[in-house]
Amino acid sequence: MKWGFGFLRRKRELQEEIDAHLQMAIADRVERGETAEKARQAASREFGNILLVQDVTRDMWGQAWLEQLGRDIGYALRQLRKSPGFTITATAMLAVAICANSTIFSWIDGTMLRPIPGARDTGDLVTLQRGERNFSPTPPFSYIDYRDLRDQNHTFAGMLAYHNDWIALTGGAQPERVYIANVSANFFNVLGIKPVLGRFFLPDEESRAVPNVILGYSLWKTRYAKDPQIVGKSIEVSRHPLTVIGVAPEGFVGAAPGLRDDLWVTLDPLGNDVWRMTHRDSDWLIVIGRLRPGVSRGQAAQDLDTVMHHLVVAYPDQHLGDNRITLDPMWRSPFGANGYMAATLPILLAFAAVVLLLTCANVATLTLVRFVSRRRELAIRQSLGANRMQLVRQMMTEGVALSSIAGGMALVLTSWTSKTFAWFFPANAAPLVLNGTMDHRVMIGIAVSSLLAGMLCGALPAWRSSHAPANEVLKAESASVSGGSRNRKLLNGLVVAQIALSLPLLLCSGLFLRTLRNLADANPGFEQDHVLTASVGLNIAGYSNDEAQLIRHKILDRVSALPGVEVAALTDWIPMTLIQKRNDAYPEGYVPRPHESLLVENAEVGPRYFESLHIPILEGREFTLNDDEKAPRVIIVDQTAARHYWPGQDPLGKRLRVWGSLHTVVGVAKNSTHTFVNESPEPMVYINYLQHPGYETMVQVKTAGNPVDMEPSVEQAIHGIDARLPVFDVRSMRESTQMASTFAVIESTLAGMFALIGLVLAVTGIYGVVAYRTQMRTHEIGIRMALGASRVDVLRLVLSQGLWLTGIGLALGLAFALGLTRIIVRLLYGIGANDPIIVVSVVMLLGAMSLAACYLPAHRAMRRNPVTAIREL
Amino acid sequence: MGEKDQYKNRIELLQGTLDMLILQTLQWGPQHGYGIVQALRLRSGDVLQVETGSLYPALHRLERQDWVQSEWKQSESKQRARYYRITAKGKKQLASDLGRWERIVEAVGSVMYVKLKESES
Repeated sequence: MKWGFGFLRRKRELQEEIDAHLQMAIADRVERGETAEKARQAASREFGNILLVQDVTRDMWGQAWLEQLGRDIGYALRQLRKSPGFTITATAMLAVAICANSTIFSWIDGTMLRPIPGARDTGDLVTLQRGERNFSPTPPFSYIDYRDLRDQNHTFAGMLAYHNDWIALTGGAQPERVYIANVSANFFNVLGIKPVLGRFFLPDEESRAVPNVILGYSLWKTRYAKDPQIVGKSIEVSRHPLTVIGVAPEGFVGAAPGLRDDLWVTLDPLGNDVWRMTHRDSDWLIVIGRLRPGVSRGQAAQDLDTVMHHLVVAYPDQHLGDNRITLDPMWRSPFGANGYMAATLPILLAFAAVVLLLTCANVATLTLVRFVSRRRELAIRQSLGANRMQLVRQMMTEGVALSSIAGGMALVLTSWTSKTFAWFFPANAAPLVLNGTMDHRVMIGIAVSSLLAGMLCGALPAWRSSHAPANEVLKAESASVSGGSRNRKLLNGLVVAQIALSLPLLLCSGLFLRTLRNLADANPGFEQDHVLTASVGLNIAGYSNDEAQLIRHKILDRVSALPGVEVAALTDWIPMTLIQKRNDAYPEGYVPRPHESLLVENAEVGPRYFESLHIPILEGREFTLNDDEKAPRVIIVDQTAARHYWPGQDPLGKRLRVWGSLHTVVGVAKNSTHTFVNESPEPMVYINYLQHPGYETMVQVKTAGNPVDMEPSVEQAIHGIDARLPVFDVRSMRESTQMASTFAVIESTLAGMFALIGLVLAVTGIYGVVAYRTQMRTHEIGIRMALGASRVDVLRLVLSQGLWLTGIGLALGLAFALGLTRIIVRLLYGIGANDPIIVVSVVMLLGAMSLAACYLPAHRAMRRNPVTAIREL
Repeated sequence: MGEKDQYKNRIELLQGTLDMLILQTLQWGPQHGYGIVQALRLRSGDVLQVETGSLYPALHRLERQDWVQSEWKQSESKQRARYYRITAKGKKQLASDLGRWERIVEAVGSVMYVKLKESES
């Protein structure tokens, strides 16, 4: 039925009411001496058709407004059908503007609002950071510290720890790289995840060497064909047998937002990582806590600070530097992708909101112009007895009908555009699972924004209609020139608003595009062309250290010998891929300031690394093949590190303690970009790959020609050593470093699209109003020309009003824009937020386009024959 | 449908007048539907027979317009029934209905009176 839930109750009550009526009638008749049977018959005869009475009574319940609404909608749709040009234009514009908002919102929804798919109440989860706040920190906690924090706090319902990694699934024909996480035993519990098969880890398995593994749903599906008997079976992971004890539910991919885990093991499943299980200065865990109900983030941070303070006092040597703890909600967690999302997407959503506002102003202009031609119709309706309320409701209904259709179209569009987010991310080594989601939140967002847009589009004409005195309109119809002064002011306001709103969009997109170009042109300090890198999964495929060392030397030999290869070097890190590694480094004779963090970025690089990347060695020398395991430990620092540790001294020969042993500085490398071109330089320590083999084995090749052409031969050369070697992420340096500008690309693409929409709307808006008004003044212009006004006078007359509006719009827009650019200043590179060149060119562009938009109708008016113009009304 | 339309026409014809009669009846105290029918019949000397098919829609419409309120109560004969009570808004409405009614009666009366006179002379 059309009435909803209250209907059933009221229906029952009406039945009861009629029953009571009959009972009372029967009782009266019995009292007067009739028999019960006769009385009943007479009473029901007297009452009439009960069903019919119920039916006509029910018609009285709130049907009136429904009927009214139905009539309004019907009328609105008829009106919209009458002017298809307007309807199609307005609907299309609104659909695009709503879609812009819902698309960005679906990206926010899929990333920030869904930080850990499948987890329960992610709003209660917080991530822990230790020390100075960092945009992309390394894992901040050691296992023992994590355990103490977990067991001694009073504000968390649970606290989990994990460590992301990758590993090879061996046992098949080809080793396959998969992403794995070492997790605390309570990992799934704290997140609120239940297994689809088997069980998750038990508390006593946490720190013991128990070779158990839990499979992710998609791995179970793709590699094990959803084997229902998988629990209890053994699988080979980097040549070690592990027993499958459970399978995680579909959709759950781990605790790092935006990154995928394929399988999970305990912290030390094979018992070969004793060091990091027992040392407080081995920081390798990322910690997430679930707040107890009613506990605020601030209280929890204070509580953890107290616990941490006790640890620092008890073990000062393992806790040098700053140890304050800060907590972040998962939507902006710095671990995983959400830190980047939180810096970009909300700003883009704000831009999209401006586009929607702009579109509403444009559609309102169209409606208003259309309204003027409908004034007669509305006035007749009014004099026939429609009250103002009804007319206002009518106009609002038309707006909402329009925007509902647009909302429906946006819904269809968004179901596709929400999935385009993944297109922005270039191929890279990280298991990114970033995309938009189309769910009930996005649908509600579309519904709300289309409703609001509809009200906005309808509100202004409605407000106008309620002020138009009917008899005046009817009387003055023939003499009306431009719809009265109030109407003119409103139209002017709308035009000014459109220009004022589009200017900031243009300015921001100009700044973003300039930033993108500056990033592309910037010199990162190393060679990006003619360099190819390839990862070899030595660490994850289960080779012994000696075997691995031997294979590495073979790889170097074979790859160097390839024709077209100029230099080959080993490394375990590629710059500008958003991957950072930090370690504690203690310079000899250096007294750290209180709370100074001694964590420093580092990379393991082999001989000829700097040569292959064209990074100049400013002092001393590069690593050579002679710096092997038996030789004295050597290290290279960059300029920033040299200045930081030994200001004003010669760094060569100075010593630095890393990983428990002293290293002598043999060279100073020129600064180069680590992660982002616009980063502030941080100290970098290059460790000798031959003396401390890196965790990753990457071959970096300087090629004579296009590096992409070398991909197959490098891969073949490595497989020639051992066909079972996993080789992956073979790509050119240029492609790898694209990762660093991904967000600049996202920002400039979307801001550029929005600015284009804004420009088109603003220009068509001003054109529409000037053209409409000029047409209204045809008669007047004819008279003026007949009285001797020249064509230039007419041109000036028409142009001046358009330019006047443009001028006000530009001035207001500039003020608005200069305020708005402040929020994007952090995202810019190589350009100020109020860069004069961009500001001037944007203002000129908008001004010139507006001028052209005003010129067209002015030109037409100027060419009119005064005689025909006068005749026209 | 045909029968339903008949009812509808009758409601519309009676609307205003029936509303006024119901509100007037409720002036004397809260009453249920059956009671209203009886009261109208008694007061009009068995002339006005309100049909249930007009009465209940009217009552429910009056309630929606906030001219009456209803509640479930026990009658003197221990019968649970829905009692309607006139509201302040309803009293205002009644006063204006009454005013209009009087004007119509006067107007109709004066027309008829003139006519009668004319036909006499």
